[in-house]
Amino acid sequence: MNDERLIKLDRLRYTKNTTSSRLAILAILFDVLFFVSIYKSDVGTYYYNILIGASIIYNLVFMLAVFLGSEGVKNYKQGYSWLLVALGVIQIVRIFILPAGAHAATVRAGGVQTQVMGDAQYIRVIVYLAVSAVCLFVSAAVNLRKSRALNAHVASLNGRQA
Amino acid sequence: MAELSLQHIDKIYDNNVQAVFDFNLDVKDGELIVLVGPSGCGKSTTLRMVAGLEDISRGTLTLDGRNITQTPAKDRDMAMVFQNYALYGHMTIYENMAFSLTLRGEDPNVIHKKVLAAAEILGLTNQLNKKPAQLSGGQRQRVAMGCSIVRSPKVFLFDEPLSNLDAKLRGATRREILLLHKRLQATMLYVTHDQTEALTLADRIVCMSMGRVQQIGTPLELYDTPNNLFVAGFIGLPPMNFYDVTFEEGRLRGNGFEVSLIDEEKATLADYLHKEITLGVRPEDIDVGSDLPVKVFSNENLGMNTLVHGHMGEALNNRISAKLRGWTSYHSGDLIRVDFKKKHFFDKETTNAIRKEAR
Repeated sequence: MNDERLIKLDRLRYTKNTTSSRLAILAILFDVLFFVSIYKSDVGTYYYNILIGASIIYNLVFMLAVFLGSEGVKNYKQGYSWLLVALGVIQIVRIFILPAGAHAATVRAGGVQTQVMGDAQYIRVIVYLAVSAVCLFVSAAVNLRKSRALNAHVASLNGRQA
Repeated sequence: MAELSLQHIDKIYDNNVQAVFDFNLDVKDGELIVLVGPSGCGKSTTLRMVAGLEDISRGTLTLDGRNITQTPAKDRDMAMVFQNYALYGHMTIYENMAFSLTLRGEDPNVIHKKVLAAAEILGLTNQLNKKPAQLSGGQRQRVAMGCSIVRSPKVFLFDEPLSNLDAKLRGATRREILLLHKRLQATMLYVTHDQTEALTLADRIVCMSMGRVQQIGTPLELYDTPNNLFVAGFIGLPPMNFYDVTFEEGRLRGNGFEVSLIDEEKATLADYLHKEITLGVRPEDIDVGSDLPVKVFSNENLGMNTLVHGHMGEALNNRISAKLRGWTSYHSGDLIRVDFKKKHFFDKETTNAIRKEAR
């Protein structure tokens, strides 16, 4: 291993994994963009309200979990990478639940049958969820790579000291 | 190479209060200069003018021949260590030490090397991932020094860096600063009001009072041949004993006591016959003898020495402090006799030291 690479690796001992942490925060940001753009105020059905309530609760839990994950990966904790991967998978799955369901559903408003979610909005929210998921996957991958390299480096240093 | 020169430096504040008067000093490369004096004497102001944190009202400041009187602080290539450490509490020690270099946009690998090298010098390698709050005062001060070292400045400035530490830690950190100076061979300006720090650290001491330089010299020069009454009283612990005396018939006559002089001392005082002068005697230059009567009122055993306080003379009306060798057990009221070994003489009017002119 050349000197530059070794120094870069050694730096990990004293610096935080800000790349992973910031990517996780970015995932939260795209999730926020997603959920602020899906709710419609002119649909007042009972089932729609239940769905919104559940969605809000889920999003709060999601944001807390991702924030926890971002703090974990900041300190090169490998376990938090798997949490972020799981949350990323859920973001992908969500595309096929609420946005897809809303896009397929119609509602009668002003005597006219219309789609709950139009095509443009549908594409937009899919992009938000997909980007959020990608951020989580990349964050987890970067952390796994860095934390493994760091652990190996620390082990070699300890081995040398012993 | 870093030679610093301060020529005719004055500091006058907006309210016309003058804090520093005609300060002149040439600092050689690798020299450790200590500015010492009581609070409010202008030593920190002088240091802050050198750092660029205060404007210089009059005079010239040069570094390696380059006039930097008007140069902003950030371009002076100097690093300052403050009494209160000036560390970022939310950052780790590593991040604190790397911060100034990161701001400069240096390569992270280079920063890493510099921080590790500085941490190695200061014995902070195992503390790099901690926050300042997790360290002791001495360690924090070492971190503050580390923040300076990584910048590899031409001149290090220390503004009372040990004042927040307890006595034991102060001694240890003082030795570390001395080792650091020997290792880096850097030019350093150090401000303190503690004469022990000044005497132990300095290559040369600048003693200041009321904004004016009283004497510049090596620690031994200031201790052995003080220029005036102020330096004589300020340098040395316990301080020098002073008595108003008159030089008559080869003897010094004080209030209820007389002191005999050797020929050399008589020659020194030749111009002061029948005139009143100030006699100064350091406590450590007093021995138990046969000359002057002293009534003891306190006996403080310090281990190797004993500090005896009492009243001297026939009327026992002159206070005296003597640092006697060994362990003595005088009681309050005991009458002893002492001799003065080395004496210092000062002009009563000018307060300047009276010295034998080189003929």
